[in-house]
Amino acid sequence: MIVSVKNLVKRYGELVALDHLSIEIKEGEIFGLLGPNGSGKTTAINCILSLLNYDKGEIKLFDKPMAPDAYDIKRNIGVIMQDVAVFEELTVYENIDYFCGLYISDKATRKKLVEEAIDFVGLNEFRKFYPKKLSGGLLRRLNIACGIAHKPKLIILDEPTVAVDPQSRNNILAGIKKLNEEGATVIYTSHYMEEVEQLCSRIVIMDKGKVIAMGSKDELKAMIKLGEKIKVEVFDLSSSYLANIKQLPNINSVEYTENNLVIKYDKGKNNLNTLLDFFRDNEITYGRIYSELPTLNDVFLEITGKELRD
Amino acid sequence: MFWHIFSNRLKCIIRDKQLVFWTLVFPLILATLFSMTLINISKQEAFKSIDIAVVNNEAYQKDVGFKNFLTEASQGDNKLFNINLTTKEEAEKLLDNGKVEGYITVETQINLVVKNSGLNQTIIKSVLDEYNQTVSAVNSIVTDNPTALQNGLLEDVGKRIEFTKNIQAGTKEKPDSAVNYFYTLIAMACLYGSFFGLKEITDIQADLSKRAARLNVAPVHKLKVLVSGLCAGFAVLLLEISILLSYLVFAMKVDFGDQIGYILLTCFVGCATGISFGAIVSAIIKKREGVKTAILIGATMTACFLSGMMYGNMKYIVEKNVPILAYINPAALITDAFYALYYYDTPTRFFTNIGLLSGLTVIFCLVTYLIIRRQKYASI
Repeated sequence: MIVSVKNLVKRYGELVALDHLSIEIKEGEIFGLLGPNGSGKTTAINCILSLLNYDKGEIKLFDKPMAPDAYDIKRNIGVIMQDVAVFEELTVYENIDYFCGLYISDKATRKKLVEEAIDFVGLNEFRKFYPKKLSGGLLRRLNIACGIAHKPKLIILDEPTVAVDPQSRNNILAGIKKLNEEGATVIYTSHYMEEVEQLCSRIVIMDKGKVIAMGSKDELKAMIKLGEKIKVEVFDLSSSYLANIKQLPNINSVEYTENNLVIKYDKGKNNLNTLLDFFRDNEITYGRIYSELPTLNDVFLEITGKELRD
Repeated sequence: MFWHIFSNRLKCIIRDKQLVFWTLVFPLILATLFSMTLINISKQEAFKSIDIAVVNNEAYQKDVGFKNFLTEASQGDNKLFNINLTTKEEAEKLLDNGKVEGYITVETQINLVVKNSGLNQTIIKSVLDEYNQTVSAVNSIVTDNPTALQNGLLEDVGKRIEFTKNIQAGTKEKPDSAVNYFYTLIAMACLYGSFFGLKEITDIQADLSKRAARLNVAPVHKLKVLVSGLCAGFAVLLLEISILLSYLVFAMKVDFGDQIGYILLTCFVGCATGISFGAIVSAIIKKREGVKTAILIGATMTACFLSGMMYGNMKYIVEKNVPILAYINPAALITDAFYALYYYDTPTRFFTNIGLLSGLTVIFCLVTYLIIRRQKYASI
């Protein structure tokens, strides 16, 4: 295992930030930590990195106990923090060189790695720029370059796309995939379910410091009753028709507000066909139709009773 | 690794314009202002002969003693009065036009006419009062004991006997107390080095900055990073203090004595104290960087005030009333070390100051180390 966390407990006074958290991450995975703000994702990362004291539990990285002075482990880790952590007084090149130099002492090797990192994040034309001259997206890219220049085996990214424009976000996500393809194991924390769904091979959903679900995105979606959500634009649907719709097979719930009919189905097949047959048989006029498969937000909603972005 | 961190920290410090302003440019500006102000004060304090008018009437011409007295007082390099012998009407006119501070008329007694009250008027009055008292005393002695005149009364009256004696403690014939202001300025610049200490601690404590968190996950011992950073800060501060010192010595002509080795030693120890002071404040106080900077500025200015930066006698007031404060105030110790080099011919007082400063520096470093050696944090 690249990362093994067992029964990790972290308290801030009365508040339990991590409640017996246990996760295992295999080599080559992109492992997602998904949860709302305050769910304990960053605390978990900081404990894994031995930055934070914890009350109970065991943390192993590369099958060795993690400690602040475990330099042989740290040498293989790259961290991209939630906030941009670079020196305002150093240029793009100097910043990457400085942080890379904390891992790689050989100048020639370091120069090559720094050049590769600059290429990787696409900051070639900004190499002599100071951070204050960079846009938010470029700053994030610099932040990433500082964390990955030394070619770590384990890369930890803590919400790297917060406050980033869509184009930069796509670049960052593509970059993470590329790093993974090059052999790095990735831990990715976010409260954006779309990103985690798109990127991660395995996901942990956290809430109030606890793991509430873990698995691949398909496994997670299979854990809930919701199988499909159909939205139909319907004009003048009478209450008797609504009652009849509720009697259709696999129906979990029906809502009709402002000409929009939202039907949630439990697992089952041909739900849309059955519904359209019903409309045709009863000569009900309908407009646009959308069919949605469950999202991780639905998983979170069904397990916790609240939205992921609450 | 040391050189990698050292060189990058050096770049960070030198390119931090705000830091360079407060630690170098500001003391240079202050030195220039001090120089201009102290020259004006010296000019104001220099005594100028007082312009007076004396009515040249018959009574004045007959009063030979008073005439001789005024003649004495208006001769020589350090003469007290510039006398204009004139008529009463002309004297009135001169007084009205502000050409003289007052005029004297001799009638049955000596009269002084002034228009305003001030230092010069007080001096004229005091001189005339003393003359009148002396004449009155001589008259009364001669009336009671006429033989006193033969026993040298007039010679005795002319003598001034001092009952106290000045003993010189130092080597300077005319010590210039104004130099102390410049010494406090160097002390201030050294203590402004605390900003370097603050910066270094902020950048290695994961609970103080995100950069430090990134550094804490790197495979480098925190102490190594701190020592490299502090060395970079120390090098820059020492250079800045050397520039300030050169400016004071060569441009402002401030006398520091001629023991160059000891002067540099004071700068060296002063810089170390300043940086370690910033480090301990930054390590102990868990507040935002801005709050810590404000605390450092406040502490530095208070320390400089107590060592006589704004009011020269404050140093002596503190030494007399709260001597312990003079021993633990780094600004007072730096100032006094320079003053000891300037004024005293034995190094005892200088080395006492250097010893105390070194002691403070060691304490600051030890406490800082004890705080920052913790490798994990309760919260970040």
